Amino acid sequence: MPFPAAQTYLKTRASIMARRLFSAEQLERMLHASLDDLASAFALREIFENNPSPALLNRAAERALIHTLMLELAVLLRPLEGSARNILIHWTRKFELYNLKALIRGKLHQLPFEQIQSDLYDLPAMIRLPHDKLLRTENILELLRSLERSTFADIARQARQVYEEKNEPFSLDAAIDRSYYIGMLRRVQRASPTDQHPLLQLVGTLIDQQNLIWLLRYRFSYLLSPSESYYLLIPFGRHLRRERLKRLVNLERLELVIEQLPEGLRSCMEGAQNPLDAERRLALETAVQTRKSLRFSQSAVTRSLAYLVLREMDLKRLYALIQGKALKLSEPLIRIAADMPPHSPEQTYPSGGSRV
Amino acid sequence: MFSPRPMKHVLLKVLTEDLPQVSLTLAELACFCPDHRDLPEAHFTHIPGERFRELHAQASSRLHKITRYFQLDTQTRLGGVHVISETELEETNRWLGEVWERCSGFEENLRRMNDEKQLLAQLEHALENFGELNIDLGLLQGERLFLDIHVGMVPRANVTQLKEAVALADYLLFDYMQHGESTHVIVVGLKGAHEQELRSVLDTAGFHALPIPPELQHEPERVRTELSRRKQALGQQLQRQQQEILSCAAEVKASLEQARNTLNMAEPYVRIDTAVHSSGHLAVISGWIPARDIQRTGQALERALSNPFQLDARTPTADERMLVPSYMPDNRLMAPFATLVRQYGIPRYGEIDPTAIFAVTFVLMFGMMFGDIGHGLCIALIAWLARKKLGKFTLFTFSIGLSASFFGLLYGSVFGYEQLFDALWIAPLSDPLYMLRVALVWGMAFLVLISVIAIYNRIIQHDLTHALFDSNGLVSALLYLSLLFGLYNLYANGRFGTATASLCILSLLLLFAYRLIETHATPGERMLVAFIETFETLTGYISNTLSFLRVAAFSLNHVALAIALFSLTNMMESLHGQLVTLVLGNLFILVLEGAVVAIQVLRLEYYEGFSRFYSGDGLEFRPLRLNSGVSG
Repeated sequence: MPFPAAQTYLKTRASIMARRLFSAEQLERMLHASLDDLASAFALREIFENNPSPALLNRAAERALIHTLMLELAVLLRPLEGSARNILIHWTRKFELYNLKALIRGKLHQLPFEQIQSDLYDLPAMIRLPHDKLLRTENILELLRSLERSTFADIARQARQVYEEKNEPFSLDAAIDRSYYIGMLRRVQRASPTDQHPLLQLVGTLIDQQNLIWLLRYRFSYLLSPSESYYLLIPFGRHLRRERLKRLVNLERLELVIEQLPEGLRSCMEGAQNPLDAERRLALETAVQTRKSLRFSQSAVTRSLAYLVLREMDLKRLYALIQGKALKLSEPLIRIAADMPPHSPEQTYPSGGSRV
Repeated sequence: MFSPRPMKHVLLKVLTEDLPQVSLTLAELACFCPDHRDLPEAHFTHIPGERFRELHAQASSRLHKITRYFQLDTQTRLGGVHVISETELEETNRWLGEVWERCSGFEENLRRMNDEKQLLAQLEHALENFGELNIDLGLLQGERLFLDIHVGMVPRANVTQLKEAVALADYLLFDYMQHGESTHVIVVGLKGAHEQELRSVLDTAGFHALPIPPELQHEPERVRTELSRRKQALGQQLQRQQQEILSCAAEVKASLEQARNTLNMAEPYVRIDTAVHSSGHLAVISGWIPARDIQRTGQALERALSNPFQLDARTPTADERMLVPSYMPDNRLMAPFATLVRQYGIPRYGEIDPTAIFAVTFVLMFGMMFGDIGHGLCIALIAWLARKKLGKFTLFTFSIGLSASFFGLLYGSVFGYEQLFDALWIAPLSDPLYMLRVALVWGMAFLVLISVIAIYNRIIQHDLTHALFDSNGLVSALLYLSLLFGLYNLYANGRFGTATASLCILSLLLLFAYRLIETHATPGERMLVAFIETFETLTGYISNTLSFLRVAAFSLNHVALAIALFSLTNMMESLHGQLVTLVLGNLFILVLEGAVVAIQVLRLEYYEGFSRFYSGDGLEFRPLRLNSGVSG
């Protein structure tokens, strides 16, 4: 497909698909719908057959939702080629990295084969690690040696350190996330000039969110030093760059961190009582910024990426609703799990098709 | 020969405890292909052998990993065939686990030694660097009263971030050398509150301390000697390790081969997988067996089983035709051609297997397009000399070489020389139009044959509508033949013929009417689609026929290339130059033209032939076998 035609096609596609994003009202309706209705509405009826156990149901629902996301990704990938295609494919690698984390953690804690296997996402071949080979490793050292021979050598090094020096595994998570976002940035830098700026803005927003979440956790939950916290962050965000991050890691209280944030982030975080509350507010702000990219960006690949980010948020929320209903949790608990406001649908939502 | 063997669907009812024996017997017979569909009987829901399969998978994985260290001889025959019990498999798996643990230990030791080797190399570089510095290295060593100093290396990618991170702890980082993927750094700060914090950051960043010997400045030779001693010791350690690996290999080799045999014998029960369903003590295996092997299978099971069993065989139903595997018997003569046919696809059950037709027409067309005794014999000779490398393709290469020689005889051409003897048939360049006519007639005959096969394939699938009206159906073939006949009449007698024209129009109308009925769309769109598709059927036949002109074109091309080569040779003044040009030119013709002709013939076969009658979406008959080489 010629470049302008592909751009137009992809923008149209992304706009049409954006209608699938959940509005606040839709989410409220879904919250009050029965599990059966949800299953019918999202073609998940098959997984409810034979009354599976909650664990099996969770797993099947999660797989089905990721499968949905992958199908939509395949549609968006079709007209793309080169660097733009690589960016979308790299975005989906986050699921594979979840698998990698689960594999390393499982082996670190000597979990049985079946348990690790059941924690892994079922992903398409293009982003799939050689699971069977890695799963069949007999211990953590063998797994690490296998990873050292792969493209994940830097992650294997970090994991070896965690294993040999009995460190906390969050440095491993941080190393994996860092390598993922730095990979994303590298791909964005190789994008065409028309795509590069809007993509940098969108990816920068995602990195800001990630950085801020990690910063709050490192400093106030794990009580890491400012220097170590800074080392584990990614200084290439949209608003949170080197100098700002250095200032932020040196602050001793959550309120002080919020005060020192740039205007947009500060206004959404103001009043946050604890890191968990702050994370929820941050997710709202990220969704707002991502929606802007989806609606106004001149770059088709940016719109596609923005759609995928929002859609993933929605599907996670749907998954939380299904899980909550399957486990017969109370409504307030389900609301928390699904990142929904306590009651009123008028409050802002992290996503919502009606706003796009 | 022309279609897959008749197949029966079998349901084998046995006692669950006999399943391993049944799998082994079926694998020995190599005529049973498992059918993995669910059984209609609702009570047979359990799939037995889950633990067995898991053990086999783990043991196979272990054996595969072990054979990276200990090479085993290629297995030719499986001896002492017996049923593998779960206990025996478990024992084999456990033993393989022990061996793999030893291998894993070796691997870890080798990794550690490699790390040590790299560290020594880095240290050597760092010391060379320090040796040239005009500073008192004593300042960098040991505990200082006020300064906290760390000398070492970090991965290159981490330096910038680390520099900024240590600055937050009031430390300074200097990078003074790069070697490979590592950057050598010195980190300096005031002793005090941030020491622990710094250590933590350095650990996270993958910092490796490099100890600087105190004697470096005053006695560099001693330091070098020490380093060289360490390297030597490491080398010896490595040698000992390799010796240990070799002796371990010798110790376990025979048992490993035994383990491989065990896994191979256990494999049939693993491969049968979901084709077996059980309910309590009763199990049902479903699959496909060639009709002529049913009796042999029953007899073999009778001999192998002490308990009763029941073998029910039935002819596949029309609905499941697509699921029946096509059993194409191995034939040494046809093997290379069958490989090329399989590149396109597997015939559906009942469809004509095109291998024999492909073999004959490929060899003939190659000869027609590359007719030259000299070049043909060269190809045959190369095939013979390289028979070990070519394997089953030896016969293929040999036969196209002989075909080229045969047509060379008909064309009177030896390495492009056409004056050495008279052509038995015709020299292509003497009458190009005749050659083109021959190619056209060949193309027509080929297409008619293909259409007949296409119609037959539809009929045996009970698809009469498509057999009649498809673009390769009877009506289309009639259209093609009447058109050819009309055009021939026009060429020979100056008129198309009323009856022929009527037949053409009638066929066209029938095809158009069929398309109209078959297309589901709005009336306007339906008309348009029907018109275009009917027109496409007509133009498809014409263009496919014209495609065969390349058969003549390449025979002319061969002569033209030879003439060009002789002109070039004559331009050379010295005999030596002429010889070199002649040899190189012939080599060029042999390699380049030979390859182009082979590709063109393959194209004609695939696109003008197979695409018309051969769906290629059949399932290959893959029987349970012993020693399929999956394990190890």
